[in-house]
Amino acid sequence: MRPLDPAPSPAAASRTVILRRFCHRRALLLSPQLPFQTRNRDRSRVWTGMASRDPVMTHWSRMLLLFLVLVPLTSSSPSSWATMHNNNWAVLVCTSRFWFNYRHMANTLSLYRTVKRLGIPDERIILMLADDMACNARNNYPAQVFNNENHQLNLYGDNVEVDYRGYEVTVENFLRVLTGRHDPAVPRSKRLLSDEGSHILLYMTGHGGDEFLKFQDSEELQSHDLADAVRQMKEKSRFKELLIMVDTCQAATLFSQLQSPGVLAIGSSMKGENSYSHHLDSDIGVSVVDRFTFYTLAFFEKLNMYSNASLRSLFNSYNPTLLMSTAYYRMDLYQRPLNEVPVTSFFGSVMKTVHTDAAYTGMAVPSEMKGSLFIEDGEHHRIMLENEPNQENLGNEEAKEVHCPYHAWLKTLQGRLDDTDADILLRYGFGMMILLLVTSSWLSS
Amino acid sequence: MAVLRHSAAFPFLLLLVLLICIPALASGVWLNDGGGGLEEEGEQFSEELFLKPLPDRKVLAHFHFQSTAPPSAANGRHHHLFPKAIAQLVRKFRIKDLELSFTQGRWNYESWGGSDPISSTNAKPPGVELWALFDLPVMEIDATWKDLTHALSGLFCASINFLESSTSYFAPSWAFRSNVSNLRYGALPREAVCTENLTPWLKLLPCRDKAGLASLLDRPSIYKGYYHSQRLQLTSTKSTGMVLKQTLTVVLKPDVQRNSAHSSLDNSIQPSWSVSSMFKKNVTGLCVPAKTSRIFFELETNMVVELEKLGYGDSWSNSIFDLSPNPVRVFKESNPLPGRSNSIIYEYINYSEHEPLDLGMKWKLPFIWSCSQSPFHASRFLMGSGNERGSIAISLQSTESNKEFLAKSHGCTVQVLIFQVVPWYVKVYYHTLQVFIDGKPQSASDVIEKIQVSPSEDKLFPGTLELMLRYPCSVQSVALTLDFDKGFLHIDEYPPDANQGFDIPSALVTFPNFHSSRSYVEDNLSINSPLLLKFQEKNVVRSYTEALLVPLTTPDFSMPYNVITFTCTVLALYFGSLLNVLRRRVGEEERLLNSKDTTRIRLIPLLLSKFSSKLKGRTDGTPKSSSLLGSKFLFILVVVLAVLWHYIAN
Repeated sequence: MRPLDPAPSPAAASRTVILRRFCHRRALLLSPQLPFQTRNRDRSRVWTGMASRDPVMTHWSRMLLLFLVLVPLTSSSPSSWATMHNNNWAVLVCTSRFWFNYRHMANTLSLYRTVKRLGIPDERIILMLADDMACNARNNYPAQVFNNENHQLNLYGDNVEVDYRGYEVTVENFLRVLTGRHDPAVPRSKRLLSDEGSHILLYMTGHGGDEFLKFQDSEELQSHDLADAVRQMKEKSRFKELLIMVDTCQAATLFSQLQSPGVLAIGSSMKGENSYSHHLDSDIGVSVVDRFTFYTLAFFEKLNMYSNASLRSLFNSYNPTLLMSTAYYRMDLYQRPLNEVPVTSFFGSVMKTVHTDAAYTGMAVPSEMKGSLFIEDGEHHRIMLENEPNQENLGNEEAKEVHCPYHAWLKTLQGRLDDTDADILLRYGFGMMILLLVTSSWLSS
Repeated sequence: MAVLRHSAAFPFLLLLVLLICIPALASGVWLNDGGGGLEEEGEQFSEELFLKPLPDRKVLAHFHFQSTAPPSAANGRHHHLFPKAIAQLVRKFRIKDLELSFTQGRWNYESWGGSDPISSTNAKPPGVELWALFDLPVMEIDATWKDLTHALSGLFCASINFLESSTSYFAPSWAFRSNVSNLRYGALPREAVCTENLTPWLKLLPCRDKAGLASLLDRPSIYKGYYHSQRLQLTSTKSTGMVLKQTLTVVLKPDVQRNSAHSSLDNSIQPSWSVSSMFKKNVTGLCVPAKTSRIFFELETNMVVELEKLGYGDSWSNSIFDLSPNPVRVFKESNPLPGRSNSIIYEYINYSEHEPLDLGMKWKLPFIWSCSQSPFHASRFLMGSGNERGSIAISLQSTESNKEFLAKSHGCTVQVLIFQVVPWYVKVYYHTLQVFIDGKPQSASDVIEKIQVSPSEDKLFPGTLELMLRYPCSVQSVALTLDFDKGFLHIDEYPPDANQGFDIPSALVTFPNFHSSRSYVEDNLSINSPLLLKFQEKNVVRSYTEALLVPLTTPDFSMPYNVITFTCTVLALYFGSLLNVLRRRVGEEERLLNSKDTTRIRLIPLLLSKFSSKLKGRTDGTPKSSSLLGSKFLFILVVVLAVLWHYIAN
C-alpha cells in the first residue's frame, strides 16, 4: 500500500502554534522536565484512546467519525470553558496622532494607570500610543500628562512603559498583537502572550465613524477586521473572556460584526451619535479627556483592588445626559450574568498560584485535582468562586471535545492517518462512499 | 546608642561595641589598602556627576554610571551588579562594542563647548543613534543587527526596530571608525525621547533611581532642559570583560532668584544654583553597591584664565562666586602649554547617609567668559526651493581656537573627515560635489584626500558619503555642496504626517588632528574615577551637524478615492440605464411574477417527499429517460472501480 504522506494540515499547524505558545509561558514557571505526552493530551487523543479499547466500538466510532467529517459542520460550537480564569491582560490603544488629540492619549494613559493600580503588571499591559505628547514641544509641562485641569495627577508618572509608539501604531501591528503573529525577532514585551485562561481588556480610543476606527489619520480599522481578529484569537484560544471598550464616535458600530463567544463590548456612543470631550484645560490649550472615559474613571477612582463592584454597576453608572451620548453594551455573546462579574475580573489582576505536589503534569489539570484546589484556596478566592459556576465541574475532556468539533475531528483524522491502520480507514471510506452513492441514486430514481 | 548612653552599663557596652567593631574596621582598612586585591576581582559599579557652569547662564550636568563585569566564567550567567539584560544581549548577539543614544535638543557647539571631552563624546545627534561592532563573520551580521534592533526596542520602549530595514542602516568603512567591516550604524532623527526611555535605562542601575545620585533625576526638570542625551555604551572584550557606561547629559537653566538688593545687577549676574534647586530633588541616601559616588565641579580653562586676570587664582570662594561645601580634592589640568592656566576640577564625595550633598554655586558679581571651541564650526543646510530638486551644503567655519593653533605652527594642514548618510528618497548626485574655499570655488582634487561614495538604491540602501579633506590651517571657511533630486515614495510608504517633511540624519565631522584628552597634575594612580579616566583617553574632536528636514511632494491622499468614486458613479449610471432600456420587458416580468408562486418548492421538502414516496414504493410520475440510465451506469462503474482499486491496493 502506498504510504500516506502526513502532510501538515491547517489543524496540525495551529496545534503546533498553540503548543509553542504554551512552551513560552510554562517554561518560566515550572520544572525543567516537561512530560510531553501529557502536554500533548488533547481532545482527539483522549477520544481515540477511549475508542480503541473495544473492537466493536472502534468500528462504530470510525464510521461515525467519517460520517461527521463528510457532513459539513456549520453550527457554531457551544461555548463552555473548562479552563480557569488565571491571568489578566490589557491592550490599551490610542490611535490618534497630533497635538490636538491630546485627550486621546490622556484617555489611554488614565486607563493604563487604573489597570496598573488595580493590579495588572506592566509586562501584561500592551500600551500603544500614536504620538508623543508628554515630551511634545507644545507641552507646557514636559514629561507630564494630565487628564484634569486641576493637574492633581500626572498620568505619565515615573514608571510608564510604552510598547508601541509613534509610527509603530498601525492597523497591522494592532492586529498582529491581537492574533500573536509576529516576526520571530519581536521581543516578549511587545507580544500579547495570553492563553485560554486569560481575561483581556481591549481599550481603544481615537476618531471613528460608522464601522471603522481611524489609525493616525492614514489607516482604518474596520469592524470586520476587529471581528476577524477576535475570532482568530478565539480559535487559537488566546482568551477566555474579552472586554472591548471603545471611546470614539459611533463606537457601537464597531462591534456589529463580532461573533465570537465570551466577548463583551462597551462603546461610548450609538450609531449616528458623537462622543464628546469633557473639558478644556486652558493651560495646556486643548481638551484633556473624553466624557465616556472621564465617567469611567470617576467610577474606578472609588474602587480598589479588593472591591466587589460588578460590571452591571459600571454600566449603570453611565448617564446619557452627562455623556451626551448613549453608551452601548453588546452582551449577547457573553454568558455570565453581568451583576455577578466584578469589574476587577477585567480591570484588575488575578494572580493565582497553583500548588502542585508532583512535577509538572501538563496543560490539562485533572478535574478531581481542580476540585480539591477550589476547596483549598476557597478563602482567597472570594469573588471568582461565585462567578465561575458549575462550568469547572464539567468533565474536562468532554467540555474540551465539544469546544471546537470541526478541528477536533480533523485532528483525529490526522492522527488516524498517521497511524498504521490507515488502510482500514480507507476501507471504511470506500464503504461510506458506496453507501452514499446507493442512497443518492436510489433517491433520484 | 543614644538610649544606651544613659544606662549604667555604658562603659561596658562601649567596650563591647569597640570589640565588635575592630575586626570590621580592620578588614575595611585592609580592603582599601589592598586596592586591586579582592575588589577588583568582582563586579563594580560607580556613579559620578559632573557639573559645569556654561557661559550662557546655563549649567551642564553629566551623570556617569559605570558597571563592569569580569570576563570570568566562574559565576556563569549570574551577576551581582551588572544588569542581566545587557549581559544577555552581549552574549546573544556577540557584541564587541555598542553605543545607543537618545537625544532631544541640539548641542550648542558655540556656547557649550566644542573641543572638551564632554562635547566630543557626549554631544549626540537628535533622536536615536545606534552603532554596534559585532564579533561575528560578515555574513551573519545583518541578521544579527536586525535581531539586536528588535531586542533594544523592547528593552528601551523605543521604535529602534525601524533600523532593521536595509534602507536605514549602513556599514561605514573608514570615516566613522577606522577600517572595520563588522560595524553597523543607524540613526532615527525623528524618534521622540521621553520618560519611557529613561525608566528602563534607570532600571539597569543597581539602585535604580531610589538612592544615590540617580535619585536626582526628576523627570519634569530633566525634560524641561535645553538638551538631554541619554547614552549607553557597552564594550566587551575577552581580557577586560564587560564594561557598561551609562551617561546622561543635561543642559539646564537654573531659575533666576530675584534679589531685591542687586536688582540692577540681576540681569548681568549669572543665576545662582544648587543641585537641589536645579533638579527639584535631593540626593536621597547612598547607593550602597556603588564603589564610588562623587560629584565633580569644573571651572573650564577660559574661566580660570579670566579669574586669574582678576587675580583670584583657583580658590573656590572669591568675590565673584562661592561654592558652598568645600571640596575634598582639587585636580588641576596639566597638559597643553606650560605657563598657562588650565581647567580645575573640584571633587566632592557623597558619603553621608543623612546629610544630602547639595553642591551650590552662588554668583556675586557679573562674570563673562567663553568656552573652548572646536577648530572649525560645522553646519549643514539645504539650498534651493520647490519640490523637485535642491542641494545640501556643509560649511566649516574657522573659530578662535584654530587661530591659536595656527599661531603655533606655520605651514600646517588640517584634516577633516565627513561621514554622511542620506535616505534613498533624497537622490544625491555625487558628481556635483563642489568645494569652495574662502568663498572661491576650488577643484575637488586639490582638497579631497580620500573619498568613498556608495550611491543609494531605491528602497534598498541609503546613500553614503565618506570624505577626507586636507587643507591649510589658514583657511577661514570651507563649503561643500551636493545637488539632489527628490524622489517619490509609494503611497503606502508615506508616514501619517508626511506633510511635516522627511529628516536627513546628522552628518558627523571629525578632526583627527585634534584631541580632547585631559591630563591632571595628580599622578594617575590616585585617580580612580572612571569619569576622569575617561577624560584622559585620547579622543578625537567630533561634532555633529544639524539634522535636515526635506519637504517632499506629498500626494493628496484622498484624490484616488475621489477619482474612483466619481468614475464608478458615472459608469454605474450609464450602464445601469442602458441595461434597463435594452433588457427590461415590463409585460414579461408581470407574467413571471404570477407564475412564480406556483413553482416555488424548497429543496428539503422536495427531498422529503421523494423519500417518502420511495418508501411507499410509488413512482412520482417523473418521466424515465436516458439520463437515469446514464447515472445508473456511472454508479456501477464507480463501484466496480472502487472495489477493483481496493483489491489491487491490498
